[in-house]
Amino acid sequence: MSDICEETLGVGLLCEGQHDPGTPPAGLRRAPSGVDGLTTEHLIINMGPQHPSTHGVLRMIVEVDGEEIVAAEVSVGYLHRGIEKLAEHRRYDAVGTLMDRGDYVSGMMGELAFALAAEQLMDVEVPRKAHWLRSLASELNRLASHLVWYGTFGLDTGAMGQFLYAMREREALLDILEALSGQRMMFNYIRPGGVVADMPLGVTEKIRAFLSTFDMYLDEYDQLLGGNEIFQGRVKGIGTIDRQMALAFGLTGANLRAAGVDFDIRKARPYAAYPELDFEVPLGSTGDAWDRYNVRMAEMRQSARMIAQLIDGMPEGEHTAKVPRIIRPNAGEVYASVESSRGETGIHLISDGTEHPYRMHYRGPSLYAAQALEEILPGHLIADVVMIIGSTDIMLGELDR
Amino acid sequence: MRPAIADIERTLAAISGVSVAEEALGTVARVELAFVPDALSALKAAGYESLVDFDGTDTGEFVELTYRLRSYALDLELFVKSTVAYGGTIESVWFDYPSALMPERETAELLGIHLAGHPNPKRLLTTDGVEPLLRRDVLIRTVEEVKAR
Amino acid sequence: MSAVGISALKVLAALGLMLGNGVVMIYMLRKVLGHLHIRLGPIHVGWKGTLQTVMDVLKLLTKEDVTPRAVDRWLFRLAPAVVFVPSLMAYAALPFSDTWRITNLDSGLLYTFTALSLIPIGLLMAGWASANKWSLLGGMRAAAQQIAYEVPLLLSVLPIVMLVGSANLGTIVEAQQGTFLAVLPRWFIVNPLFWPTFLIFVVASLVESNQTPFDMSEAESEIVAGFATEYSAMKFGLLFLSEFSNQFIVSALGVTLFFGGWTLPWLPASVVSALGPLIFLIKTYLGIFVMMWIRGTFPRVRIDQVMQLGWQRLIPISLVWIVFSGIVIKVWS
Repeated sequence: MSDICEETLGVGLLCEGQHDPGTPPAGLRRAPSGVDGLTTEHLIINMGPQHPSTHGVLRMIVEVDGEEIVAAEVSVGYLHRGIEKLAEHRRYDAVGTLMDRGDYVSGMMGELAFALAAEQLMDVEVPRKAHWLRSLASELNRLASHLVWYGTFGLDTGAMGQFLYAMREREALLDILEALSGQRMMFNYIRPGGVVADMPLGVTEKIRAFLSTFDMYLDEYDQLLGGNEIFQGRVKGIGTIDRQMALAFGLTGANLRAAGVDFDIRKARPYAAYPELDFEVPLGSTGDAWDRYNVRMAEMRQSARMIAQLIDGMPEGEHTAKVPRIIRPNAGEVYASVESSRGETGIHLISDGTEHPYRMHYRGPSLYAAQALEEILPGHLIADVVMIIGSTDIMLGELDR
Repeated sequence: MRPAIADIERTLAAISGVSVAEEALGTVARVELAFVPDALSALKAAGYESLVDFDGTDTGEFVELTYRLRSYALDLELFVKSTVAYGGTIESVWFDYPSALMPERETAELLGIHLAGHPNPKRLLTTDGVEPLLRRDVLIRTVEEVKAR
Repeated sequence: MSAVGISALKVLAALGLMLGNGVVMIYMLRKVLGHLHIRLGPIHVGWKGTLQTVMDVLKLLTKEDVTPRAVDRWLFRLAPAVVFVPSLMAYAALPFSDTWRITNLDSGLLYTFTALSLIPIGLLMAGWASANKWSLLGGMRAAAQQIAYEVPLLLSVLPIVMLVGSANLGTIVEAQQGTFLAVLPRWFIVNPLFWPTFLIFVVASLVESNQTPFDMSEAESEIVAGFATEYSAMKFGLLFLSEFSNQFIVSALGVTLFFGGWTLPWLPASVVSALGPLIFLIKTYLGIFVMMWIRGTFPRVRIDQVMQLGWQRLIPISLVWIVFSGIVIKVWS
């Protein structure tokens, strides 16, 4: 180990020779000021936590040379609520409310991850209809979540209309989810053992009415944003996360698939009703922002396809298994993960046999996407930063937990 | 899917004090703290190219660390576990797995352990002075207590 | 009335037009964007929300005027004025009709561009004086892009000056009177020689008036609010008023240069000369509507792409086009 240490943007020191200098995030290495003998100083800018397009309260400390970024550090924690600690004091049926507030735009998937983990420790047979309802709720929620991503991505590029168009579809979806679960965002619908209520009357028709226009609107939106030359000029070739980097930084979900890695938990580790559904996993090739855009748009089409299958083939039967009022699962340690709209949401659950979880670790895919930002941001312009953040679709709620 | 125990044992043959077992969690390799970086390097060379998750648990006597590794090429998942005493120091594995950068910081701050060899060993989620929240001896009010107030 | 008194009245009229334009355009912007975005825009205050802008102006006037401690006080206070005054000056040469104009300048076109080109100084001042990094970036962007696009903007309209033989805006409009074959107006937009000119003019004027897709200097998703980040109350109001006014001016210039100004060939001459200012305003607001349409639909270009477009494409193309149209005009006449 050599003693040559560079000052990083934060407090820490980065020592060369300690590890391969190519490996640490480029953002943490401070570049020397001044080019070609000119004495210029770099500007250090705090981007966030109060910034219009850091998608919540993400804070980035970027060092810029003119408009070009030479170093970047991602600072998180402004939304930390201690969900993991709080879960240790909740009963198993109440942890879902915390999961909703983790990734608050796709709460169903968080609930599902916890329910799957808890069921591995419980002696319970989840009825087939519950599986189908869970998949239905997940896919509806995935659409709603991707529409928020689409809208905010449009806002990041400076196009206002896309956001409001996306909200029109999302409104219909939230109405459906409200009919299904009684809530628009904080559902607490999927619980250990099944789901909380059966499909209400009329919701199938509502979903059919939504699907009848959705594909048309989605093509329109894709044309409006993705078909725009200005937008393509903005996203093509920026924020490239290739296969190697995606794996090294533990990316999952659309960010990983945009780099060409064919891995979707719904296919690779099937859960709920996904083994019975017919769908494709869209893949990208280079892993730039444009690929991520296309993968997410294609995912929305697949989700709509799955929703159609789910309401057509919805089985009869019970919507939940017999679960005691106070759940006391067996002691043990399990891990369950689901494909949420942002990637792999994992729950590492340890039970000691009491009514509260002993330890619940919540793996948020956004955390891993956020730390990859440190590596990919240098070399881009400030205008690209918001595009790259938008394209990785990070959600601060699950990043800070 | 779960890798075969024998394969993992062969990969980690050079490292002493390794025990591999099949548990409810999956295939778990237990490694002594001092050998964790070596073990993870060996596993990375064996194809486990992605660290998908890292967390710590306060078991009441010590802190148990769980590394979750995945190989996309082989479609295998492996858990590596190790233990560290309260207030102990763990060696960062960010050279092999850059994805450990933030989870390590988070675990260190929330469970009260120290990081060695980390490029940016600051707190991640909470501000200075906040107790290590995920330790069992740090108490918060339960739902019932809040309701009873 | 003395000459000074008349001049003062004219300045007041221009000021009134500028303020009135601000009020109209804010309402128009909200309604146009609202309907483009499948929503309604303001509906509650006054008839169809017409009084909403008045209320907003009142709000801006009565708000606390915050001056951050770190700013350069004099520059900070001066900057809105430096932005506002050139914007007001630019009204002087606009021909609202054959009689309605503040001055009849022979170099009216050049004068208007000169007035517009003073604005970046004010924006740069605002950006620097705010002692805010986002403001500084915004000010730098404003200066860079407006300087880069003044050249193609001016070069693009030179063929028109060459054809007409005058830079007087009134003369340019008069050259567009009448019709081809009794149907097509003799506006310069109908002349294929000026189609590239018009395209370059549209792009450059969008940049000059700081409009989407070139609203770099206040790109809210990137640099918060650019040069206006630290401004509040009426200082902010002035900055935005001059922005709306610039939009009006470039639209009015476009109407003057390409769409026959106050003329309307299908109507009898007496009606046109009576309704001149009205026709001019309607045409101008149609131009503004198109700008708002673009704003409601298009994403934003990146700063380096803007600069590349300006220096590498528009300037060479307009230079080549000047030579070409010069030859054509010479041969034709």
